[in-house]
Amino acid sequence: MIYFYDGSKESFLTAFVLSYGDGDATLTSRDCQLSLGQETVFVKADPARAAKAEARLNAIDSHCMRDLDLLLRSGEKQRDGVLLRYFRCLAAYGRPVRDMYQVDAAREADRALRKIGTEIHRMKGFVRFMECASGALYAPVSPDNDICDLLLPHFRGRLGSIPFVIHDVSRRKAAVFDGEHSFVAPLGGAEIVLSADEENWRDLWKRYYASVNIPSRERLKQMRGYMPVRYWRFMPEKR
Amino acid sequence: MISEEKLHILVNGAKFDVSCSSSGSKRKNGGGIGNGFAEGCCHSFTPDGRCVSLLKILMSNDCIYHCKYCVNRADADVPRATATPEEICELVMAFYKRNYIEGLFLSSAVCRTPDYTMEQLLRTVKLLRTEYKFFGYIHVKGIPYADGALVRETARYADRMSYNIELPSEQSLKLLAPQKTRESLLAPMRSLALQSSQFKAEKRKGHFLPAGQTTQLIVGASPEPDGQILRLTQALYRKNGLKRVYYSSYVPVVHDALLPDRPAGELREHRLYQADWLLRFYGFTAEEIVNDDGNLSYDLDPKCAWALNHMQYFPVEVNRAPLETLLRVPGIGARSAYKIMQARRFGALTFEDLGKMHVVLKRARHFITANGKFYGANETAVRGLLTAGERNDGAVQLNLFSDAETAHSALTGEL
Ligand code: SF4
Repeated sequence: MIYFYDGSKESFLTAFVLSYGDGDATLTSRDCQLSLGQETVFVKADPARAAKAEARLNAIDSHCMRDLDLLLRSGEKQRDGVLLRYFRCLAAYGRPVRDMYQVDAAREADRALRKIGTEIHRMKGFVRFMECASGALYAPVSPDNDICDLLLPHFRGRLGSIPFVIHDVSRRKAAVFDGEHSFVAPLGGAEIVLSADEENWRDLWKRYYASVNIPSRERLKQMRGYMPVRYWRFMPEKR
Repeated sequence: MISEEKLHILVNGAKFDVSCSSSGSKRKNGGGIGNGFAEGCCHSFTPDGRCVSLLKILMSNDCIYHCKYCVNRADADVPRATATPEEICELVMAFYKRNYIEGLFLSSAVCRTPDYTMEQLLRTVKLLRTEYKFFGYIHVKGIPYADGALVRETARYADRMSYNIELPSEQSLKLLAPQKTRESLLAPMRSLALQSSQFKAEKRKGHFLPAGQTTQLIVGASPEPDGQILRLTQALYRKNGLKRVYYSSYVPVVHDALLPDRPAGELREHRLYQADWLLRFYGFTAEEIVNDDGNLSYDLDPKCAWALNHMQYFPVEVNRAPLETLLRVPGIGARSAYKIMQARRFGALTFEDLGKMHVVLKRARHFITANGKFYGANETAVRGLLTAGERNDGAVQLNLFSDAETAHSALTGEL
């Protein structure tokens, strides 16, 4: 049986409960190729069921909801399978399985979680703000995983009272700090009026980047390993 | 706004300093801009494969000293520039706000006098902290012979300070950096270390170099063997409480009869970083890891070389060996050792399990058993296997950075 769910936590937990006895269950939140004769269920989130499942799973591993929240943000194709196997594994062992690296389901989840963690860490460095005429900062991003709101606390901590927007242009949403509150909002296009000095600072940054390099020691492969090309799109020094 | 030309001159003079780390400070944002990020953060990477974390810049490249290896020495015919404290502060704020950088690494040539230079550095960081309300990371270079009070005050605003020893022996210093003595570099380091521990002991408010001190050694400009360099490093870690010693393989930028015309191999620098890693994290001593000739092996990484010379300790059983022992196995790093320690609590690990866990077995298999099974080769064969593919002519081009396994190691020396 194929279980479609909407990618939310509640709907995942409902699907998890519904599919529990089904050995052939496939869970998916995305379009997928149906083979002939495969039965499908469209799971409707059931708050009561979800809450019960959450309480049970929490009793097994008090950190597992954090894992769920992160994994639901994964942009990987295999995400739903990884999730289902990980939570089934948790239920089957009745104890945290995070460190059972010899068990496939636990290891897969660990790998997926680390990937998301790596991207969050990277984005803290690779986000590039531009200054708007209003003084607010605007950064377009396009991360592999749905993480722009997780960057809010980090940038709030350092930018003080300056309002800023981190715009996930692919997912058409934005993490916003308006000077008082932070929130997430849908955002398609954005029209930006740059501050008078913006171009000059950007040029100085490009100059800095070029000057600090040691050309006789070229190691492009290493550079690309640490800073994959897909992130260059919004980095002025790489354009 | 600083001009592009000036920026270029001042960055060009600073770029050979290896340190760019922004880790180790948890400074809070005190009502302005910026905070410390204890793990450190890379904001970009340049085509030479290095991380850009801090804005690395000189206050001035106009030097009164004559260090033979340096582009900025007094008699060099290079364009000179000096920035004002305000120019630097503005640049830091603009770059930081846009998330280009994690902070500032401010260094300087000795301009006019050591005290004058140190004063300029102090003015800049004080201005940044108090007027511009900047709370991000600041690393300041100490100027030898500068007045102790100026240095101490600077340390109150900085997260990290460093005096670069550059040359690993007094003799080489005398020859190549005639105005500096080892004491002129070590004495201020010791005094800062002392003040820092007093500061901690008194639990005073504020900060005093929360990210500690570091230094840098140039490798290959002078004849000291690896063993001497590593013993110096070890003493600096143990006695002076340094956080990090950096190595910079010598790049000839000036011609001088006293200096080699060829760059020191990057492989040598890499081996020193690997050895340094073993000192800092894996409980090795300098004496253990250098060969009888006083140097590190070039065709083997230092952990492999050590293991091959101590085959009596191997193979070790991964299901029982304590952490310290696992860390001594070639190919098993901290992350793999941790995974092994965790996973084996749930059942004995086999070679297959280790493979699935992404423990790299290419080297390790010769030194371990998994659940009693050994899949390695005998000692002579091992030596051949391990050196093949890593051997090179000891000089310029090497193929160290070709796979994911070594890419990380290339940056940190992690083994
Ligand atoms: S003190 Fe020596 S190393 Fe430093 S800038 Fe002057 S000449 Fe160069």
